[in-house]
Amino acid sequence: MNNNKLLIMNGPGLSDLSNFNEMGYGHLTLDIVRKKCSETCKIFGLKMDFRQTDDETELSRFLIEGIEDFDALIINPVGHSHTSSVDFTIYSSAIKTITRQNKPVIEVHISNIFQQGVENTKPIHVPKCEVGFVSGLGIHSYDLAIRAVNKKLSKN
Amino acid sequence: MNIYVINGPNINLLGTREPEIYGKETLKSISKKCIQQGLKDGHDVKFMQSNYEGEIVEWIQNAITEKVDAIVINAAAYTHTSIAIHDALKSYSGFKIELHISNPHLRETFRHISYISSAVDAIVAGLGADGYSHVIELLADLQKHYKQKK
Repeated sequence: MNNNKLLIMNGPGLSDLSNFNEMGYGHLTLDIVRKKCSETCKIFGLKMDFRQTDDETELSRFLIEGIEDFDALIINPVGHSHTSSVDFTIYSSAIKTITRQNKPVIEVHISNIFQQGVENTKPIHVPKCEVGFVSGLGIHSYDLAIRAVNKKLSKN
Repeated sequence: MNIYVINGPNINLLGTREPEIYGKETLKSISKKCIQQGLKDGHDVKFMQSNYEGEIVEWIQNAITEKVDAIVINAAAYTHTSIAIHDALKSYSGFKIELHISNPHLRETFRHISYISSAVDAIVAGLGADGYSHVIELLADLQKHYKQKK
């Protein structure tokens, strides 16, 4: 038990996961994902804050200011149905700042974003930073990311 | 479950090759951890590495005939060049995960294109050598989810 604090941030469009159900990832709601994350965090003694917002300004502000209180970040940047409206550069500078503080960051996606074509969803681009990437494991994308964060924190 | 963990070119140099990117852990050590993690969960893990594209294609074809349950593939540099590996993976209907030690999307632009990603179920990258054991650890759950998907 380590009392490390993990922020799990879900970006625009992710309040409604029904499109993933149609893609065959099982019946998913954000609340089901939150509960699963909470169970996994409990196993490792991680404190979790699970958030979702459709507001990009609020999102980037919280990433930059709010991260002070956290030891690691798991971020699902976007639901693919809303991608056209999201400016991915909002993530880049925030994530650069966080990785410079030596805090683990992992980008997760429920579906395999490359099967929808990268025109729709691209990985977050933060060159020369250490950011993990998990895409296409359904709800388990979060699960694997939490395990990886825990492992990384235990090495720090 | 029967699991193939397939590794591509230069992965045999792990531990000495650009350790600031790939870490200090050797392939032998990763292989041992994967097999042990598999044994713990009741999986039969075959861990392999080749510098030859054709050999990797043949291993994927073997996975089809041997009805292997899952493939974890780190195609390394062939990720960005090999349509042959893409085609082989397309023909394999079991659960397949693309794995990378580093995150190719944060490196040189020639690593941003993957011929593997669209042919697999999922991608795990940038978690270091630990990515392998994390994936093996979750494979039983992951396969259940995959069956749901089919």
